[in-house]
Amino acid sequence: MRTTTPLLLLLLLSALPASARVKLAALPPRERVEIQLDDGRYTLVEEERIVPLLAWTPEAGNNHVDFSWANAQVDKDSVLFRPVAVREGDAFRPLKDEEVKVVNVAYPPNENALVFEVYAKQACAAKVRVSYLIRNLGRTFAYRAVADRDERFLALKTYLVIGNRSGEEFAGARVWAGIGPRLDAGPDDGDDVRLLVDRADRVPVRKTFTFDWYTHGPLSPEKPFASKVLMHYALRNDEKNGLGRFPLPPGKARVFLDDGRGGEAFLGEDWVGLTPLDREARIFLGEARDVVCMRTIERNERRPVEGNLFHQEVTLRYEIENFRDKPATLDIVEQLNRLAADYGTRPPGDVEWELLDGTTDGIALSTDRGSALPVLSVDLAPRPKEGAVEKRVVILHILLKNLW
Amino acid sequence: MRRILPLPVALLLLLAVTAAGKNVDLVTLPDRASVQLTIYNSEDLTLVRETREIALKRGRNQLQFSWANTLIDPTSVEFRPLEKKGEIELVDTRFPGSKPQHLVWTIDSQVEGQVKVEVSYFTSGITWSMDYVALTDAREESLAFRGYVRVSNGSGEEYEDAQVRLIVGRINLVEKIAALAQRRGLPSPPAEKSALFNELKKEGARAAFAEADARDQAAGKEIVKEGLSEYFMFSVSGTETIRHGWSKRMEAVRADGVKFATVYRLREHQYGPRPVRFFLWKNDAEHGLGGSPLPDGRLRVLRTNADEGLSVLGEEAVSYVPIQAPIEINLGPDDRVDCETVAGATRRYDFRFDHRPARVVGWTEETKWQDRVRNSRGKEIVFELQRVLDGDVEHASEVATRLFDYRTIETRFVVAPRGETTYPSTVVRRLGASQRQQRVVLR
Repeated sequence: MRTTTPLLLLLLLSALPASARVKLAALPPRERVEIQLDDGRYTLVEEERIVPLLAWTPEAGNNHVDFSWANAQVDKDSVLFRPVAVREGDAFRPLKDEEVKVVNVAYPPNENALVFEVYAKQACAAKVRVSYLIRNLGRTFAYRAVADRDERFLALKTYLVIGNRSGEEFAGARVWAGIGPRLDAGPDDGDDVRLLVDRADRVPVRKTFTFDWYTHGPLSPEKPFASKVLMHYALRNDEKNGLGRFPLPPGKARVFLDDGRGGEAFLGEDWVGLTPLDREARIFLGEARDVVCMRTIERNERRPVEGNLFHQEVTLRYEIENFRDKPATLDIVEQLNRLAADYGTRPPGDVEWELLDGTTDGIALSTDRGSALPVLSVDLAPRPKEGAVEKRVVILHILLKNLW
Repeated sequence: MRRILPLPVALLLLLAVTAAGKNVDLVTLPDRASVQLTIYNSEDLTLVRETREIALKRGRNQLQFSWANTLIDPTSVEFRPLEKKGEIELVDTRFPGSKPQHLVWTIDSQVEGQVKVEVSYFTSGITWSMDYVALTDAREESLAFRGYVRVSNGSGEEYEDAQVRLIVGRINLVEKIAALAQRRGLPSPPAEKSALFNELKKEGARAAFAEADARDQAAGKEIVKEGLSEYFMFSVSGTETIRHGWSKRMEAVRADGVKFATVYRLREHQYGPRPVRFFLWKNDAEHGLGGSPLPDGRLRVLRTNADEGLSVLGEEAVSYVPIQAPIEINLGPDDRVDCETVAGATRRYDFRFDHRPARVVGWTEETKWQDRVRNSRGKEIVFELQRVLDGDVEHASEVATRLFDYRTIETRFVVAPRGETTYPSTVVRRLGASQRQQRVVLR
């Protein structure tokens, strides 16, 4: 960070001219600059400067401090000038009894400048903080995740990426993005800087495989009953799992796999959404080719109730094969509202349904995402070293009730 | 103010009465002795009242008032002697067609010598606005509240050492001052300005102008606030110089250590699908405020992180806050508080059918819901949920719930630090031909 910049100037004016703004001024350098990026909507810059002030007298009046900028995207209405301390001996002490106070601020026409009228009870060197919002200085977040060879743990690094197109130089300014430590690493105008703000070396991760017929449809004309199986890493943002220090901000995650020989293989990338504490983040890895699932409707019977009211009994059959050399758990998402719409004019709201006998025993069925969106979790054994891969058959036998 | 010639607004005493209406006049230029600006923020309107010392001779006098390159409403210019009122009479006011932005007063005087007079008029181009800054402590428990008045002068006229008064409140105008200013001196249609406005102009503002010309306090302008009919007037102590093209911002409201409450609200119909954080306090004495209403303005909320600088928490447009009224500032969603709404099992029953062939035309639907509110903050939060339920609805919950209006349920609960609270509810709707009402009943 430069001590003075050609762009943002804080001038102590000897007097405020009546009309033309010809200035004779002292140039107090920046002592410190803080950039706050914790709220993604705003970027706040706070500068600390030592400003010599003259005591007020009836003849001389107050001090006039000119804050001006050129080519920088400063929000004029956001500028705050806060005297915080005065020098006493070699140290600064907090202000007492408004001994230094901003009387008013004037906005000259057609200038990127403000003139603060500052009262000082006695001549002093005042420590002031000038803060303002600045545009085109923003941040994003990025993640780099390296999975161990068994894909049970991730080494997760969180990066802050700051891009400065504001027109102002901030090299060396202290930066804080709401997470991690404050870093003396502000960028100059036109620069981007990428900073490591958090790392967790051993985050337990669960690799998930998901089959969702109604979202992805048939895999191909040749395989009309199969559909995509998508892979994700799921990790929980809590302390128990080595995270939980802050909500994970939205950002792009690049995922690598440790190849066990000192190298890494790139597995893919995904946008990670905001993940509050104690919630699960899911990183999409791509389509699994070694876990195959085929869905058929084995039985389909309408049971009239009265008039056009009926129940629909449906038996869904899933045939699953795991060609991986590791076990896997396949989550089958069944969108019952869309299934019911295949049979009748579904009334508004979620479908009414019940589980019938004949559903495969020992299958975990969760309705955490909603009653009409049950998820069946099926554990699959790895492919045998010899012999054929087992075809696992799962039956979901349900009654969709009160359709018409 | 002692400058004369550069000012576009000038008051000239015509020495040759017969010269009036000609292009060459021999005149004296009496100085402004004082000037007061009363600025309205609801309209582009400022009442300017200036006093001048003029020399009158016994008999008939003519005074020319001109306002080249300004935005003065010629129909509003008034002349009034402040001394020897019974001996000085305004005979007529003429707007010479050959001299736009001029008028000539004919005055009969029984006295000879120096007299103090007042000239008042409306101008446009001077505006004022408020903005606010709330600076919370690091723990977000109390705040320093500041309100600033910003006066901007685009009127074309320089007003030096002016007393500045700002009117808070809405007035009615039937014609815009800027439009009247462009009529170049033509008399206005019959005055149809609101009675309220006239009352304000004649009584309120003038009466309030009668005092206060103290020397500026060096340590800052005090802004005196006082009620005036249905309006509020902010008076800047001493005088201010506001040049054409400039703006000036002064502190008008100040309160330190203002305790505020933090509440999270989930109102999808109002604020969208995520809970939003509110800071709540009141414009009253308990909160160090209440000295005046708070005019419309933008409020920026910052948090001080001790030596680590400031953080922006949000900003919002504040609309007029009367004395004693609550102040509610929406800071937007907070990444550390979220709510997940999950539909549980649904059941349908009480079907109704029409005839031949029998078809379902009415039914009752029951759905169990869960709103799971997660607080990742290190301190307890208050959560308010408001939800609109359209139709013929019965609502039940084991958590205390009330009706906000005929179709909106409302509940409030506390969520522990790093905790989760679930709000369970059962919603029963009568649909189709079974719907008899458009309202929610709590069970």
